[in-house]
Amino acid sequence: MEASAAPATSTESGLTGAAAPLLALRDIDKTFGITHALSRASLTIAPGEVVGLVGPNGAGKSTLIKTITGVLEPTAGTIVVNGRDVQQISHREVAELGISCAYQDLSLCTNLAIYENFALLNMDHKLWAPVGWRKRQRTEVSALLERFFPGNSIDASQPVSTLTLAERQMVEICKALMKEDLGLLILDEPTSALSANRADQLHDAVREISQAGVAVIYISHKLDEIQKVCDRIVLLKNGSNAGEYNPRDISAADLVGIMGGDARVRERHDSFSAEVGPALVVAKSLSSEGLSDVNVTAHAGEIVGVAGLVGSGQTTLLKAIFAAGKRRRPGLQVNGKVAYLSGDRAGEGVFGLWSILDNMLVSSLRSVTRFGLLDQSASRQLAQHWFDRLRFRAESVDSPITSLSGGNQQKALIARGLASGADILLLNDPTAGVDIETKQDIYALLAGAKEAGKAVVLHSTEDSEMEICDRVYVMREGCVTAELAGAEVTVQNVVRASFSDVDRVTGREKSSTPLLGRVLRSRLLLPIAAMVIIYALNAIVNPNVLSLGSTRLLLNTAVPLVFAALGQMFIVTAGDIDMGNGYSIGLANVLVAVVLSQNLVVGIVSLLLLVAGYAAMGALIHLRQLPAIVVTLGAQFIWLGIALIIAPVPGGMSPKWLGRFYTSSFLFVPMPALLCIVAAAVTWFIIFRWKYGMVLRGIGNNRNAIERSGWSYVGGKMANYALAGVMVAFAGLTFTAVTYAADVNTSATFCMLSIATVIVGGCEMAGGVVEPVGVVAAGVAMSLITSLLIFIQVDSNLQVAVTGMIIILVLAARMLTNKKAVVAA
Amino acid sequence: MKRMVDFVQKHPAVWPVLGCLIFLAMIGGLTGSLDPTVLFTAARLATFAALLGLAQMIVVTSGDGAIDLSQVYVLTLCAYASTTLMDVNPILGFVVAVLIGGLAGLVNGLVNIYLRIPAMVTTLATGYLYFTVILIGSSHMKVLPHPEFVNLITGGVGPISTQTIVVIGVALLLALVLYRTPYGKQLHAVGQNRNAAYLAGIPTNRVVIVAFVVGGLLSGLAGVIAAAVMGGAFQDMGMSYFLPSVAATFVGGTAASGGRSSVLGVAFGALMMTLMSSFLNTAESMFDLVSGIKQLIMGAFLVSILFVSVAGVKRRRSQAGSATTPAVMASNEGL
Repeated sequence: MEASAAPATSTESGLTGAAAPLLALRDIDKTFGITHALSRASLTIAPGEVVGLVGPNGAGKSTLIKTITGVLEPTAGTIVVNGRDVQQISHREVAELGISCAYQDLSLCTNLAIYENFALLNMDHKLWAPVGWRKRQRTEVSALLERFFPGNSIDASQPVSTLTLAERQMVEICKALMKEDLGLLILDEPTSALSANRADQLHDAVREISQAGVAVIYISHKLDEIQKVCDRIVLLKNGSNAGEYNPRDISAADLVGIMGGDARVRERHDSFSAEVGPALVVAKSLSSEGLSDVNVTAHAGEIVGVAGLVGSGQTTLLKAIFAAGKRRRPGLQVNGKVAYLSGDRAGEGVFGLWSILDNMLVSSLRSVTRFGLLDQSASRQLAQHWFDRLRFRAESVDSPITSLSGGNQQKALIARGLASGADILLLNDPTAGVDIETKQDIYALLAGAKEAGKAVVLHSTEDSEMEICDRVYVMREGCVTAELAGAEVTVQNVVRASFSDVDRVTGREKSSTPLLGRVLRSRLLLPIAAMVIIYALNAIVNPNVLSLGSTRLLLNTAVPLVFAALGQMFIVTAGDIDMGNGYSIGLANVLVAVVLSQNLVVGIVSLLLLVAGYAAMGALIHLRQLPAIVVTLGAQFIWLGIALIIAPVPGGMSPKWLGRFYTSSFLFVPMPALLCIVAAAVTWFIIFRWKYGMVLRGIGNNRNAIERSGWSYVGGKMANYALAGVMVAFAGLTFTAVTYAADVNTSATFCMLSIATVIVGGCEMAGGVVEPVGVVAAGVAMSLITSLLIFIQVDSNLQVAVTGMIIILVLAARMLTNKKAVVAA
Repeated sequence: MKRMVDFVQKHPAVWPVLGCLIFLAMIGGLTGSLDPTVLFTAARLATFAALLGLAQMIVVTSGDGAIDLSQVYVLTLCAYASTTLMDVNPILGFVVAVLIGGLAGLVNGLVNIYLRIPAMVTTLATGYLYFTVILIGSSHMKVLPHPEFVNLITGGVGPISTQTIVVIGVALLLALVLYRTPYGKQLHAVGQNRNAAYLAGIPTNRVVIVAFVVGGLLSGLAGVIAAAVMGGAFQDMGMSYFLPSVAATFVGGTAASGGRSSVLGVAFGALMMTLMSSFLNTAESMFDLVSGIKQLIMGAFLVSILFVSVAGVKRRRSQAGSATTPAVMASNEGL
């Protein structure tokens, strides 16, 4: 890892002045509409330097990092890379500088093994890699993890979903560290989930790589860490530089003082004279996930602030209060109607298909209902009242909500809360992305609500907003660390309390699970057990089953279902579902019996066209964002139509070679059994061993992670669909071998049955988590049930019942053994 | 031009209505005369696709990728229930048979919400269960419908069939519930954004369960009528309606991601599917078409109308991602 050898044309040298800067950002401006995220911010980084980036909420740290990683283009300012001026940092500069970032939101595919997440990023995009690449990757990743975090118990072959949050963070950091030609490492709050011990290990690693010449930008709210590990501290405030410091010359307390100083002190609306009413919200020693021992009260007629660094439990507290308003819970008493107003308007607030009127009234429908019906004129009157009062910038109450600016949408949401007649207003960062004028309107509205005797609980990521509050609770890592009242409510005090120390989280790292536990939790257990048990039951009822000939008979009918289910599985891998495979298998059946039996070449080409049709369907679904369930339903008419054109009446015949092949044996193993084994092995290889299998599974789990590592999403989707098409062709082929003829209608039942088989086989309908071997076993099991019922002379109609019961039992069993799996689905 | 686009987006019923007119004209072109009985016959034949399509629409509108695959089994179950129970008491039997449909919907909703199993998997499993009940029970049940009820339901007012009147009545009632009551607003809110609906104080669980129950009631009603029209109940009676009804649901402008519905659109969607079918039948008999062309045209037409009409509603993926249930939502912070 060579330090940059570029000619130092720039006269600028960082504060350290030791080396020519690797990267220099000067006077960077970045505006989003009317919001100034950065104004004349500068940052210079030299090779081998560790820069600590600190600042209060909303200082512009994230925006600056996004500029460095090339996600954002600055509105103004100059960027110098190795002495060369550039407009924006592009892929080229990222590669040239070797920039790598450990994201706070963890860019991992949780269904893939840990080493596969690394491999997605650092392997080329050829479809094949030399044999043994998995082993090499695994050892490399294990070595990497062991090198930077000695003593961890992470098994690199396990999927990311089995890791604790702390372990995931370690993996994410190592993924960033692993980059070839690493020149600049960005760590964004890297220790938020790590224990002190692990954090120390990270700091050692940072020192080690910086000695090797790698520059590091270290962002953290934990000032003691910053002081320990950094060569230089850059302080950002309100999007501008607020000084650079040597960590040895400045104390944490001083830093905090500078961060909180000279904030834009807002005019207080009135003094805190108002007599407060009864307590409407009382939390006593409230503890839950994300909260510990929280004591909070909010009275009628006051504005209570909830402050602290982002993600200290403020949102959790607000949501807990909201939930307690609906259903009582111990430790949290809520007296009155609660309204929750979120600053995450798209995710938690706005109904995008609706007008302003509908959005404002959705929480107060009862008040405009007469005789069970909505009164149009009353609705209009109520909406118009709030529309006029809040001075919207919009044509009328009938304008779509999406035509409003963010700030005006927020006003509509506040109107929704006020109109609902709630006694308690919970506001979660309501001014996020709102312009200054509208912010003032919102403050006025809150003051009005306070005077009307409502309890207002306000969480904001802008510390200065806390000054409109009568009292402020400051939170830190799920605890309330300070309560400020009256004149104490100042930005300085809020910032100071935000950075206060609390006991470190003790990062949980679990021990490895015993073998028995792993077997019990395996997705394969159920389908394989079902297959074995049903086969055993068959044998008990009819001992002849144990002979090879009978096994062949039993398995004969299982093979088409196995392939049908495997086809369904590939589509489920992509997170979709195929409702049309009943008829596409019927079409394949017709193609084999009518076309292939006459002419081998034409037959094969026609089957390949069917596969291409599936791939095209995948592309169509992606490109037009159509729901897969509907497109595949529509497509089945097309399959059916083509099949009927080729074979208007049942007929055709099974090619002779196919019949001979299907009835042959290999080393005494009957061909159907062999086919099941081969199908299981090949699809298992494709899904879990083939290099591209990582992408096939990845696209069903985390589209962003796949695209961030440079793979094509639509390519993966089409590949999944094409593989499904191949399985459909095989299902048609084997079905013909069983039925000796073509009839498009007999295979229609495969659709529902294949979905059921996929579920029993241990796959998640949500995508990405599939189990080919389980699917094959489940397919055999499903098919054996029929023969079992025949042997014990039960009406074969009951097979349907048994199928239904099995699905329900499987889901119930999975609920018990692994609750998460079902929830995730 | 832009106003036209806006209008079409706001009123998705435009497509199926347009489709109905086109197919009517084409049938007229083929036969050489515009016989109004074609329309009345098609309307009568569209009864089941319309009822099931409307039922499906309500379930799909509740969002979260919900779809009811158990519909056709519920239809068959209620058909058997009606033939058996109406033999005892026509009116009570009718009511109870329809209520059984509602009960099946309730089971679907409860399993979906409280066991947190995706609606599609839930209804697949319960569909098998209901079919089991049919298979076991059918041999003990009466199959023939109540004769007076048959007379009533196959009769009509002038050229308009009683079935069509029932469909129109149901559609009007449904339109009233969906667009003029608090429940309708809540259903559409839940379908658009379950998270936001929960935080707006809407009882999301109850709203979704009621959607399943209403869907079940309508499937049940379809079953009772089907038994009378077809001269009795039989095990596979529902199967042929699955496709036309789902097609009607989505062609009629129901957003697959939820939150947008159109009673008018789905009703005309069912009519359009039926008219398309009779057009192709007419063409087939007149020109001696190769069999299969009919289905091929139907499929191609269906996919292309989806291609055209679904445009502009691009929200499915993000919805799936934010479908956290309220219980786990509180812990989303702090990562």
